[in-house]
Amino acid sequence: MPAWFDNHLISLLNGLAIGSLLFILAVGLSLIFGMMDVLNLAHGVLFLAGAYAAWWVAGESPSWPGFLAALAVAGAVGALAGIGLSLMVERLRHRSHLAQAQLTLGLTLIAADILSVVFGNDVHTINPPPGLDGSVMLLGKAYPVYRLALIGLGALLASAVHLIVERTSLGALIRATVADRQMVAAVGVDARKVKAAVFAVGALLATVAGVLGAPVYGARPGLDGTVLLLALVVVVIGGLGSVRGAVVGALVIGEIDTLGRSLLSDLASFVLFGALAVVLILRPRGLFGAASGART
Amino acid sequence: MSHARITRRRLLGAMGAAGALAVLPSCKGRNNQPGGGAGGRIKIGLVVPQSGVYAPLGTDMKHAWELWLERHGGKLGTFEVTTVIADEGESPQTGVPAIQKLLQSDQVDAIVGVVSSAVALGAASLVAEAKKLLVIANAGAADITGAKRSPYVWRTSFTNAQIASVMGKHLAGQADIGPVYLIAPDYAAGAEVIRGFKSTFEAGGGKIAGEARPPLGKTQDYQPFLTGIQSSGARAAFCFFAGAEAVAFVKQYEQFGLSKQIALYGSGFLTEGSVLPAQGDAAIGIQTVLHYSTELDNPANKAFAAAWQARFNTQPAVYAVQMWDTASVLDRALGSTTALDGDHLFKALGSVGTIGDSPRGPWSFDNQSPRQRMYLRKVEKRGTAYVNAVVADLGETAPVT
Repeated sequence: MPAWFDNHLISLLNGLAIGSLLFILAVGLSLIFGMMDVLNLAHGVLFLAGAYAAWWVAGESPSWPGFLAALAVAGAVGALAGIGLSLMVERLRHRSHLAQAQLTLGLTLIAADILSVVFGNDVHTINPPPGLDGSVMLLGKAYPVYRLALIGLGALLASAVHLIVERTSLGALIRATVADRQMVAAVGVDARKVKAAVFAVGALLATVAGVLGAPVYGARPGLDGTVLLLALVVVVIGGLGSVRGAVVGALVIGEIDTLGRSLLSDLASFVLFGALAVVLILRPRGLFGAASGART
Repeated sequence: MSHARITRRRLLGAMGAAGALAVLPSCKGRNNQPGGGAGGRIKIGLVVPQSGVYAPLGTDMKHAWELWLERHGGKLGTFEVTTVIADEGESPQTGVPAIQKLLQSDQVDAIVGVVSSAVALGAASLVAEAKKLLVIANAGAADITGAKRSPYVWRTSFTNAQIASVMGKHLAGQADIGPVYLIAPDYAAGAEVIRGFKSTFEAGGGKIAGEARPPLGKTQDYQPFLTGIQSSGARAAFCFFAGAEAVAFVKQYEQFGLSKQIALYGSGFLTEGSVLPAQGDAAIGIQTVLHYSTELDNPANKAFAAAWQARFNTQPAVYAVQMWDTASVLDRALGSTTALDGDHLFKALGSVGTIGDSPRGPWSFDNQSPRQRMYLRKVEKRGTAYVNAVVADLGETAPVT
């Protein structure tokens, strides 16, 4: 029995690591959808662009300056892409979600093809930066240090995003823009700028997640679709527009994808979407869907 | 909306026209029949993935086809070759229409390539209907030349179980092997590999420690399965992964500390071609079975590898050899045939005998699939490069279907 416990404790820990990465990826999608009411299907390709940026800037075995430079480049690319996206979807403001989905999905397909032309179709792997590239012994088993670092970083980012959105005047402005655009405009704030800023931050988080995720997932064609699906599942389970929902959704999916597969290895193909189905049946608006004031 | 409807109707009309074309006889009035035994032309359709996850394999195969033609004056037998390339994509939804287009609008005489087994199985009835030859240069499903065999479909690559069963037999013969854990993605090829391995391994007295089937294409993190391997008490693990999954699995096998405790074995695709440099040091020591290695010590392979290195500045992979040999058998067949229809071509292929100048070593067709040597390989680092060093020749094997 102790062996059983040890095994699953490692899976539990790994679920936290994967969950942290998923949170960084999904929180941007959740913010943009929940607060700006835009379904940004280009989120996955932003992640992939970040992963390629890590490989291109920092190489396969990055040094710390290289890795930080990759984060900076990816962040800049993400912010610019976010502003561009916000300008494009601004024109679709009065159309349905379907029009937004078509626009962002179209951009995804184009961007993914461009990435594949520029970076080729081979699988690229990126090692963690020095100091984080080894494994430590936990409960008699080796565990990659980088994943432990991801847990810390995820917790840090989650607190930061939560504080900014819920506790600062900037966050108040964002929430106000969602609640009453005209009133915000009447007091002299350009709502389009707020929207562009949220988009920039959301997209930046996606590309940064791409860099941080590169040592775990690598960079390869098709990864954009995989992570977009995971992010959508996280957002659906957690509830739209809620930072708390994104945290819980990401951790739940992280655990299901690791502990769930470890406990129910015969059903590995089904546990993830099985869990999604259960949440949709019991809580159609997600676990924290009602917690945010984002939607009317 | 109305615009969309018109487009859709047009599309349906076009599909109807394409369907009608399919029933028209396609072999009348061709100007590429052999004239007096020499100097004719042949049109070959090259179907390889140019997009999607298998694109690196497609590039290797396309390069091999071009290299062979470059070095043989652009001719197969006495026929001047025109190549029409079509993108297989990554599934039958893209691959089968690509083959249909080659047969119907490009009017090719024969088709080569095909990475995916699902595409190969989907295309079998198309080529049989058109009476054209299809030479598969990769897809490894047993059914292609087994249960769903068509005289028009031949294969120069391998069957999934052929490779795995040789590994099973080899490992069963190792005195200190201990229980072995089996892991392969949850799809048809994975199942064939596991079945092939078990059949010979258990017959040889080997013990299975456990089995796992990670979802194909939906597993980015193998930790839950790696933990399963660790807790099963296995002394060795046998796996079947390719492409991005091979990279992720091998890297994580090392990161989670398994490579030091539980020896990893696999079908050769695990460490073949462009995935090996991506795996890097994590791959060192992994042993695999395959019908080729760049390190094979025979004159044909040395010449081939040198030519490849000179032209593309990389080491050739098995996918390139399979396409090279596809060109080579067609060259032989076209030396003896009098017509280019599928019936003449498959009869000619049936009499090519042993291919003695292949980089993989001598092989011959056995029920339309290669009877060939299998090699035990071990990943080593030479300077900055990683290679699959040949440890042993495991002998000639018939295709397992």
